[in-house]
Amino acid sequence: MADILIIGGGIIGVTLAHELVRRGEDVTLLEKRFIGSGSTFRCGTGIRQQFNDEANVQLMKRSVELWKKYSEEYGFSFQQTGYLFLLYDDDEVTEFKKNIAIQNKFGVPTRLITPEEAKEIVPLLDISEVVAASWNPTDGKADPFHSTAAFALHAKEMGAKFYERTEVKDIIIKNGEIKGVKTNRGVFKTGIVVNATNAWAKLINAMAEVPVRIPIEPYKHQAVITQPIKAGSINPMVISFKYGHAYLTQTAHGGVVGGVGYEEGPIYDLNPSYAFLKEVSYYFTKIIPALGELLILRTWAGYYAETPDGNAAIGRINEIDEFYIAAGFSGHGFMMAPAVAEMMADLIIKGRTALPAWWFDPYRFERGEFRTTAIQMG
Amino acid sequence: MRPLDLTEKDPSKKVTIYFEGKPYEAYEGEKIAVALLANGIYWLTTSTEGRKRGAFYFGPLPIVINGIKNMDGRKVPVRANMRIERQNYGEFQEEVKIDEKKPVLRYVVDVAIIGAGPAGLGALLEVQEHLTVALIEEKSWLGGDLWLKRVKQKGFDDEPQEVIKAMRDRFNQNVRVFLKTAAIGIFDEGEYFLIPAIRRNQLIEILSKRVVLATGAVDNILLFENNDMPSVFRRAFALEVMNIWGVAPGRKVAVVGSKPEEITAELERWGIDYVIVPNPKRVEGRESVERLIDMNGNVHDVDAVIVADGRRPDINPVTQAGGKLRFRRGYYMPILDMNHRIRDGIYAAGSAVSIKPHYANYLEGKLVGSHILKEFGFETEPCIYEEKLREYEPETVPLHRIEYDSMNLEDVQICGCDVSLKKVYDVVESGITDLQIIKRLTHLAMGFCQGRFCLFNGALLVSQRTGIDMTRIDLPVARPPIKNVRMKVVARRD
Repeated sequence: MADILIIGGGIIGVTLAHELVRRGEDVTLLEKRFIGSGSTFRCGTGIRQQFNDEANVQLMKRSVELWKKYSEEYGFSFQQTGYLFLLYDDDEVTEFKKNIAIQNKFGVPTRLITPEEAKEIVPLLDISEVVAASWNPTDGKADPFHSTAAFALHAKEMGAKFYERTEVKDIIIKNGEIKGVKTNRGVFKTGIVVNATNAWAKLINAMAEVPVRIPIEPYKHQAVITQPIKAGSINPMVISFKYGHAYLTQTAHGGVVGGVGYEEGPIYDLNPSYAFLKEVSYYFTKIIPALGELLILRTWAGYYAETPDGNAAIGRINEIDEFYIAAGFSGHGFMMAPAVAEMMADLIIKGRTALPAWWFDPYRFERGEFRTTAIQMG
Repeated sequence: MRPLDLTEKDPSKKVTIYFEGKPYEAYEGEKIAVALLANGIYWLTTSTEGRKRGAFYFGPLPIVINGIKNMDGRKVPVRANMRIERQNYGEFQEEVKIDEKKPVLRYVVDVAIIGAGPAGLGALLEVQEHLTVALIEEKSWLGGDLWLKRVKQKGFDDEPQEVIKAMRDRFNQNVRVFLKTAAIGIFDEGEYFLIPAIRRNQLIEILSKRVVLATGAVDNILLFENNDMPSVFRRAFALEVMNIWGVAPGRKVAVVGSKPEEITAELERWGIDYVIVPNPKRVEGRESVERLIDMNGNVHDVDAVIVADGRRPDINPVTQAGGKLRFRRGYYMPILDMNHRIRDGIYAAGSAVSIKPHYANYLEGKLVGSHILKEFGFETEPCIYEEKLREYEPETVPLHRIEYDSMNLEDVQICGCDVSLKKVYDVVESGITDLQIIKRLTHLAMGFCQGRFCLFNGALLVSQRTGIDMTRIDLPVARPPIKNVRMKVVARRD
């Protein structure tokens, strides 16, 4: 018998298990493959507060505080090396000035800088077409492998139970009450289920017969990594909407990692494509010509779980006693996870939270109430 | 002759090259690493963590050529007056002139055969009468591992190079040969397969109706202290420097690993002094091996070490192409259907499938060729080759125990990308037993070779430390590009 059962061992499920057990709850987590195997271990590593709406800025500000706290406590790599958005025309500059105002309002120190200043931050940049850049030095990046493993390890040490290679087949509900979940390893009895399966969320919702329309669809996005180069060559996450909605940075291990906005879906397929390899190489060498001479080691694919407004669905489904969802992250899940975990734990334990959960209300799609589309790269 | 030359070289090709500022004798067209070896220079590059590295065991070989960093010392041929310098792995060319974009070369064939060893050649000779063929080979020669040998091989009537030349002479006008060309993946393109391949900096796209993976095997990496030191050789590299380039790996070499017989006859042919050491513990030296110490504490004064520890199928092309694996006979091998395919349209043959004599690989190539002809509607009888192939039982490669307690694990490199055995061992001891997670925490199998040389030992370590059977380990799938490629070469053209 588990008091709270989390389905999905990605960063959202793992940090939630960690947060709940830290607050003294009895937690069990089920993961169909291994921790991080869904999309977390495939992510682009970035953590930013540069969003275009108040709710996401607030949430990410809290998330960065938590990333800092836990990376220090658990000893995994989280570097506040900034996010650098390269801007190429007046329209982009106008738009980013608006975003900067929102970010500044909540104490996020983003500012507009000149192309020359951008080049000082990343000397390898080609700034010949850049007119300005939006720069926040407190954004950053973390190692998805070591961070997820650390959250999982500490959650387990505090008493959370993790079952890997355990795939949920059905959710047992009687008279509107959850009784347990059926898996390939038998039935787990529980009264509370959290759907933290992101790209697979629609499958779990179907098993629970969620009576609300929550459109979350899996889209294949790909990423690339190059040979390691000397540390400090590309410190921040560099973003260029002009060149393919690209994001790229250097990992702690030295390789240049990133992706572009080349999307396929909705689809459950993770085979990297040749078309992506050509696209990402084209755009990356436009942004940083020196990348052209680097060897590509690998490409891979992961899912963006897309909703109509690019914001996740986070909250309780009232018709089922008790069913929660925290899914529908499209390139934002990794960066938001610690704050989402805090928000979800508040909702499960206290029924309310100081963080802006209303923005992510899972009923909004049914009501036809869409949010400003959250800034998304890749 | 240069200190380690075994044969006289063509004097008309004689040039001077400069390494770290000093002049050396070299021959135009030679591999840089070979020219320097002939002059007794082993240490050519330095790993991220500062370990001295040579060209012939594992890891990449980035060097500075005429001021240009991050050039591949294994591929670039010698030119007169070339200036070569060592570098660190992380150094790269910051000032880049994006060169004029060469057009992509495109070819359409019935069958693409990847790998020109005996299996690939067998498949080619079987189908060429009726079908068009692209033969893609990464090396500069046909014949694969067989071409490296001088000793007559079972099943063939002639010496290896004569056998290969005779096969080459039989190629007809349906065959297009791509040497020094590395296939970087196999992709589905509707009713075709798309195989992008790279020759120097030229992108080639081959569309084919069927694919044969004759991608061969890789030498096993043996784990001992300082196993990455310059002048430690993989068996295949040792054969190549002697038999292709006429240069000795050293004056007195130690042969280690479970299959010394795979190299000793060749060493004897050249009159190279060798000692077989079955239980190496450590090698020591300043810039290259000066002595080898075995598990019993015996010290062997040698200047090179050749690791001959058998081979295992290269599973990366198989998993990238969508094939599944099983563990049998001491190695991972592709699961094949009744028609010798890893899946619809993609066949596998040779030591990519199992470890067996060259002639059996050749027969297996003929077998898949025959299956392909049948698929195209020609009258063939694959069962004839199947019958013959039954005479050759594939080898079983013994799984050796890694001597964790007798070695300083920090000094043992499991992977050429600065992953020590200790790094992996510690993660496993901390309770993480899933190779998929171990890989991500240690970077094992995530570097230049993408696991080709290091993943097996990782699986072995997990199995030996946790008791999890090798058959039950979740092996990562290889992702494209299956061979490293420079970004500018594959970038989309405007």
